[in-house]
Amino acid sequence: MNFVALFQALDTSQSTNSKRDALIAFIRESDPLESALAVEALTDRTRGKRLKPNALKQTAYLAFGEDRWLFEECYGAVGDLSETLAILFADQDTLPEITQPVLADWIHRQEKLGLLELGELANELLSLLKAFSKDEAFLFLKLSSGGFRVGVNKGLVHDAVAQAVAMDRAIIEERLMGDFIADGDWLHRLQSPVTQDELDARPLPFLLANPLIKTDLNSLDLSTVLVEYKWDGIRAQLIKTRETIRLWSRGDHDITEQFPDIVDAATTLPSQLILDGEILAGRPDHLRSFNDLQTRLNRKRITHNLLKTHPAFFRAYDVLRRDGEDIREKPLIYRKEVLATLAVAQSTVSFPNTPEQIAAMRESAREASAEGIMIKRRESPYVSGRKVGHWWKWKLDPMTADCVLIYAQSGHGRRASLHSDYTLACWTSDGDLVPVAKAYSGLTDAELKTMDRWIRKHTVQKFGPVRQVEPQQVFEIGFEGVTRSTRHKSGIALRFPRILRWRKDVGANDADRLAHFETLMKDSHAV
Amino acid sequence: MVSKKSCLREPLIIRTPEGLYCPKAHAHIDPWRPVDCALITHAHADHARAGSRLYHCALGGEGILKKRLGEHDIQTHVYGEVFILGDVKVSFHPAGHVLGSAQIRVDDGHSVWVVTGDYKRDSDPTCQLFEPVTCDVLITEATFALPIYRWPSMDQVMDRLFSWWDHHVRNHRTPVLLCYSLGKAQRIMAEIGNRSDRSVLVHNAVANLNLEYEQQGIELCQWERATESQKRISTDLIIAPPQVADSAFLKRFRPTELAMASGWMQVRGVRRRSTINQGFVVSDHADWDGLIRTIKDSGASQVYATHGETRVFTRYLNDCLHINAERLETAFGIEAGTDQ
Repeated sequence: MNFVALFQALDTSQSTNSKRDALIAFIRESDPLESALAVEALTDRTRGKRLKPNALKQTAYLAFGEDRWLFEECYGAVGDLSETLAILFADQDTLPEITQPVLADWIHRQEKLGLLELGELANELLSLLKAFSKDEAFLFLKLSSGGFRVGVNKGLVHDAVAQAVAMDRAIIEERLMGDFIADGDWLHRLQSPVTQDELDARPLPFLLANPLIKTDLNSLDLSTVLVEYKWDGIRAQLIKTRETIRLWSRGDHDITEQFPDIVDAATTLPSQLILDGEILAGRPDHLRSFNDLQTRLNRKRITHNLLKTHPAFFRAYDVLRRDGEDIREKPLIYRKEVLATLAVAQSTVSFPNTPEQIAAMRESAREASAEGIMIKRRESPYVSGRKVGHWWKWKLDPMTADCVLIYAQSGHGRRASLHSDYTLACWTSDGDLVPVAKAYSGLTDAELKTMDRWIRKHTVQKFGPVRQVEPQQVFEIGFEGVTRSTRHKSGIALRFPRILRWRKDVGANDADRLAHFETLMKDSHAV
Repeated sequence: MVSKKSCLREPLIIRTPEGLYCPKAHAHIDPWRPVDCALITHAHADHARAGSRLYHCALGGEGILKKRLGEHDIQTHVYGEVFILGDVKVSFHPAGHVLGSAQIRVDDGHSVWVVTGDYKRDSDPTCQLFEPVTCDVLITEATFALPIYRWPSMDQVMDRLFSWWDHHVRNHRTPVLLCYSLGKAQRIMAEIGNRSDRSVLVHNAVANLNLEYEQQGIELCQWERATESQKRISTDLIIAPPQVADSAFLKRFRPTELAMASGWMQVRGVRRRSTINQGFVVSDHADWDGLIRTIKDSGASQVYATHGETRVFTRYLNDCLHINAERLETAFGIEAGTDQ
């Protein structure tokens, strides 16, 4: 089994289980160098792009031999540059070789191609693609341009590797996250004996809250609960062993590398400690928006400058291990006392007496830059998963606005060739429409199809794959916050905008004005 | 070849609210409303509609047309036979789309117009190969008029189909191939029969048409009608129309593995957006090369594109091949993903 066979298995399956099974079989059966390189590619570890997307596009124009607009039409219909090239140039008739390893050879070729001048590159690449089957050409190009997505995430790959070698998942993740070297010996190294410190550095299962429903609030005995803000960041466990400090987000993702400032700050904490908390942007006395936090994620390198411009810190909710002792069975109120003895930013707790006080606290969440409140039973142990009756979350309602659809674009992947990416606008005081949000989801498949037909019929102008449409359709969008932005023409950026519903009852002229967002911004404290 | 003059003449075929119409013949071509006299290119639902007084079709298409429309007055013509309607000569020519599909040629002594209907240039064991017809004006389909649509050989497709079929049988899943019940299903069954002694189970909609094909001497693979009583995983391939994907029909064969045979399957995103795991690129329409070849073969100096990627196609013909081409809006054609 080679990488092409693995891709075919992954690509023709929609169930996570069968994808996992395919990965496990591949890791067990294939050449170890092939599987090492595959894991490297699937976990997005490939360093840099071996072929620049622009070089691919220029190659395509040269090789295509027809007018550029025709190529752009093809690209628009396919929705993926590598796939477009594979369809246009690969041999549609050959079946791919699915047993012999391919990846080491491909990477070698890509590195050589990467050194060529454009004209030469076009020739070489074209003759290479012509010898490939469609699947091979697609994969070759996908791998060469970095950013390879095939409907499996890092976590699933780590799952599969762990199962293939029958080892603990978190340990495997740690070992894969460390200095992973993609060579034929990777499986042996992965299976070396586990140390005590590695065991200690594993995260514990998170306790998750259930959404609060009205009847919960009435039936709660308020003398048994405490309330704190639900902070708007990344839920994480901060683990300090004798030898290391690790940060884990939910789903067992090690995000230590992204937050060296938090690691630095944690060096003063006692070792053999596990804290549950939230990674937040800014400083404890000056919170910043979730947008700022996102800047820190998915980066290959965190620079000094970035640490200065986008600081982050850890605000603790809970203590799960103290001095090596697992205290999850102890009541929350006790764990909060332990937390208070630690020199770490922490969430303030209050003890409301009436439902009105709880509601008032929720109302104040926006001003505090929180996304709602948490109601926790004082006696609750730290159990794993989403257990009922311990913790409740009560989030703020999203902010909303009615916006007009002005541009639509084909989606990618599952939604290629269906116009599913919408640019939505609101009115300026001068009576112009200015874009405020791009939204990708929120409509049903049936609505998407209807809208797709409408969009095709009401296109005013096309810019490559983007269609400008008649400003008629109004959608209500929901979002979690408004911040000022110098990057956008509207001067604002919305946090997590999504379409709540299609407002067929609202005409374009009755959509919201930019002033509406200004008001929302004034009402909330966050900047 | 056509002279400048003939282009200035009254058009031989125009578009009316009922559909394409040849005034000199007092006949419509594939009308979408009931008319007095309908010339039918083929029996697919977007081309053949019930309610007209009289139908003309190619000889092989009568039985299917009756199955689709019910009892109607139908006159059949062998391919190439010239008959007179009003002031023009009319003839049917093989279109290679499905059994009995035809291009319709109309000749008033001054110019020749051809309406292709749907067509493909690839060989198909269930119908006669497309025959190029020279003309002055060609009214063509353009369903797959983008260079990304290039069909693989049937050998390649069948290799893939068989290995997919065997793989899922080994894993105790029933392989289900969804495809259009008129034409595509029979073509695939004939190709299976040419290569193996494998047998298939078919949905009623397919079975009824199979009988018609077999009556006309078309050899299909071994097949059986899938009945209510079969409640098990099948090692035979199930062939059914796409509409049954979420229906009770498939439940009794669970666990099932779904594949779709369609030209749209050329694009990965189209398949992945559906609930279907596997796609086979099989189309009864011309691919990009087939369309261009047909325009060139026809020698037409004026082309109208009726449905599909007409915008791209007419621009390409005008800008790159310097052939006059215009879009002609019709009620033919289909949504992406429901290849007919």
